[in-house]
Amino acid sequence: MAIGGITAAGARSGARRRLAMLLAPGLFWLIAFFAIPLVVVLAYSVAVPGPTGRVEWRFTLENYQRLFGETLYVSAYVRSLWVGLLTTLICLVAGYPLALFIVRQPPAWRAALLFLILIPFWTNFLVRTYAWMIILSNNGIVNTAIQSLGLPRQILYPGEGAVLVGLVYGQLPFMVLPLVAALDRFDFTLMEAAADLGASRRRAFWRIMLPLTAPGIAAGSVLVFIPTVGQFVVSDLLGGAKVDFLGNLLQRLFTRSNPPNWPLGSAMAVIFMVVLTVAIVAYFRATAEERR
Amino acid sequence: MKQLSRFVLIVASLMLLVACGGTAPTTPTAAPSSDAPATDGVDREQLAQELRVYNWTDYIDPALLDAFEQEYGVRVIVDNYDANEDMIAKVRAGGSGYDIVVPSDYAVETMWRDDLLQEINRTWLPNLGNLEPSLLDKYFDPGNRYSVPYMYGITGIAYHRSAFPDGITSWAALFDPVQLERVRGQVSMLDDERETPGAALRYLGHSLNATDAAAIAEATALLQAQTEYLAAYNSSDVNRKLSSGEYLIAHAWSGQAMQARNGLGDEFAGNPEIAFVIPNEGGAIWMDNMAILKESPNAYTAHVFIDFLMRPEIAAQNAGYIGYLTPNAAALALLPDSIKALYAEGFAPDATVMQRLEWMVRDEQSTVFTELWTAVKGQ
Amino acid sequence: MARQAPDAGGLLLRLHTGATLVFLYAPIVVLVVFSFTSDSFGVRWTGFTLQWYERLFRDERLIGATLNTLLVATISTVIATVIGTMLAFAMERYRFRGRTGLEALLYVPIVIPEIVMALALLGFFALAFGLIDAWFGVRPVMGLATVIIAHVAFTISFVVVVVRTSLKSFDLRLEEAAADLGADPWQTFRHITLPLILPGIIGGALLGFTLSLDDFIITFFTTGPGTSLLPVEVYGQVKRAITPKINALSTLMLVASITLVFLSQFVQRRGRTA
Repeated sequence: MAIGGITAAGARSGARRRLAMLLAPGLFWLIAFFAIPLVVVLAYSVAVPGPTGRVEWRFTLENYQRLFGETLYVSAYVRSLWVGLLTTLICLVAGYPLALFIVRQPPAWRAALLFLILIPFWTNFLVRTYAWMIILSNNGIVNTAIQSLGLPRQILYPGEGAVLVGLVYGQLPFMVLPLVAALDRFDFTLMEAAADLGASRRRAFWRIMLPLTAPGIAAGSVLVFIPTVGQFVVSDLLGGAKVDFLGNLLQRLFTRSNPPNWPLGSAMAVIFMVVLTVAIVAYFRATAEERR
Repeated sequence: MKQLSRFVLIVASLMLLVACGGTAPTTPTAAPSSDAPATDGVDREQLAQELRVYNWTDYIDPALLDAFEQEYGVRVIVDNYDANEDMIAKVRAGGSGYDIVVPSDYAVETMWRDDLLQEINRTWLPNLGNLEPSLLDKYFDPGNRYSVPYMYGITGIAYHRSAFPDGITSWAALFDPVQLERVRGQVSMLDDERETPGAALRYLGHSLNATDAAAIAEATALLQAQTEYLAAYNSSDVNRKLSSGEYLIAHAWSGQAMQARNGLGDEFAGNPEIAFVIPNEGGAIWMDNMAILKESPNAYTAHVFIDFLMRPEIAAQNAGYIGYLTPNAAALALLPDSIKALYAEGFAPDATVMQRLEWMVRDEQSTVFTELWTAVKGQ
Repeated sequence: MARQAPDAGGLLLRLHTGATLVFLYAPIVVLVVFSFTSDSFGVRWTGFTLQWYERLFRDERLIGATLNTLLVATISTVIATVIGTMLAFAMERYRFRGRTGLEALLYVPIVIPEIVMALALLGFFALAFGLIDAWFGVRPVMGLATVIIAHVAFTISFVVVVVRTSLKSFDLRLEEAAADLGADPWQTFRHITLPLILPGIIGGALLGFTLSLDDFIITFFTTGPGTSLLPVEVYGQVKRAITPKINALSTLMLVASITLVFLSQFVQRRGRTA
């Protein structure tokens, strides 16, 4: 895939120009609004917090030492990663069949179904979360149903189960859309061909469909995993704010503690970004391998 | 191909509709009423057209904004924040565009030390004399050079009288496992790294500003043991969860308790069962203050607005709406009877309760509270 | 592609889809029902009322905030979708120096914690406006424009990720065939590539739109005096009480979006039969 679709050698300079045009606006935006802030965050992370929350520009590695040294911070990382992983898995297992169903519908229905999945998310996030509180609360719909079956009332909210429900709910579309994009380009005649060659449906699924739609799985997983690792509002509202996730710590260090500690928060953000970027790149490499 | 053009059509029509309705409505500015008396010492020539106030959410009676505009022809724009640190971050960046901000006690100090506030001109504030003298000249702004008290509050325990018929006198109701067992899962503590450890410290007999290692360790252990009984750490909608009965007892700000008792405008009804107490071990007092940003070009108008809010009848109306305590001594007599009754009942401190209250000081040592709080929430 | 005959697997898929839709709409149903309840906590059914709708229509601030939010989401989605699609093309179709670096940079907006990005953007705008003030003597104030710029910045990457998914599974021989038949690159793109990757583009755009509608932290730090947006308004309300007024607003937005979807389907069908 040298320069895609261009065969004539004379078109080379044209391709260069096109590439420049394609890149320019995006590069400008990314560099202005991300590359520069990123440098600032890096600089903060090796600076010293001042008494009023301003940053003092003296070099130190103490922020990083604290984050790696104190088990509190490490455990918040582990907890957040674990919840992110769990949410991603559930979304994948629930989202894949859904995406499959959508792409197998006649074209007229596909668009409608996609919208049907997204429309709930055009209401306000907090109102949706409050609706879950109502459903899961002690006298809520779920408990009423449970009790009418003669079973004892369950404390569903606030709690970890409620948090997981809220997270999966909020992230599901972010899994489904990339999966639909991938499955939409999947050639289903391959499955028939595999069947003709004597492969079982299960085998055909694992050996053909899954590998070929891996880019969608990878993209969806990333889009679900990362926001979940950094979240804190859902866990505060549905879980009672009793334990810290990474998002809580970041929020607190930047804008809730007095004085705020931007250097420590920045160091935490840097570790967060490095860990996740490495994980993502490795993950994409792995799924790309699988495709070959 | 067909379904693709359908996609485009749907999206395009959605966007079209949105774009059509998308222009922000501009509220018509009422013309300055020319018949207003010009004998009040306010120089109308000097007034700006617009004043921008950055305030806590729902922390001013909107009717007063209209009244001010009617009287002076100045349109007041109010935007909201929910934490001092959010506001300070925005102001510090520069060019926030606001004239007046409402920082809490310690935040006033942070802001004037950082050169973000301009000095108050007392000659423009004839109503300053209405304020309660004991609430002026506090540690965070000696001589009130930069700030004017706006509302204050105290932190204690709000509870349902039916669940605690004998009343509550001690923080033990929130910290003693034996007493907590009865209300397990119907208890909340403020989600605040100073207030909550502060309550624990007072219960343990320390100052809520104690930062010595022994006291902090004791408080940490106490809070960690308490977690399992809590429904939540909650500083936001404690008012409505108390009122609806979801919480039977809560560590709360007096204003939240008052809102739970009296209801909140037309938003929800109050619950007559709610009571509020500052336990014998003591509690916290804090105050939000009006201040003018250094970068504000509308200092004169800002003063006129601040002075307007210190008129006794205006301050009384505002305090009645918000539910926090007014530092305006002249306004106390004008408060609605329902509020007066609550003040007498313990939602506001009397002289003896005042003795048990402590201001929360922030200094270099305060970082231990961030660590304490992280430890409590990291188990 | 041919629709397969219904079978056990198909039935399971259908059941699963049904169950998922129930899951997705359960809170929505609750939300809609409680927009009509007379209980002011909005958590119990105590009788039917339309008062929340009445109050909503009187609340100019809330309506203004809603319109602002829709405007920001629409404009930023359009810009981000165009720029993001271009980037996705560059990344998938070209080899160039710095591509790996760009690859990493592309993920930054996704991995960067929101609060960090919000504060960084706040600092950036303050600095830029300070410079503009120094050079031109006019000081811009933060408002809708800065919010839109910020929203474009964080949605671009989401668009790129989804569009690349489409491009990755793309059969390049189709484009080569078009070129062989004499189509120029633009014609090839317009008639072959674009239609085939459109689901990816639309998916990316929808994600961007959804993210923009609900974003609170970045919006809070990049907006300015007098420019209120819906998420900021609603977050503020949590402090006191979220009234069923917000349920009423959400219900209206639901009805509007569902109506639009169906309307466009209808128009489309009519257009085809005519």
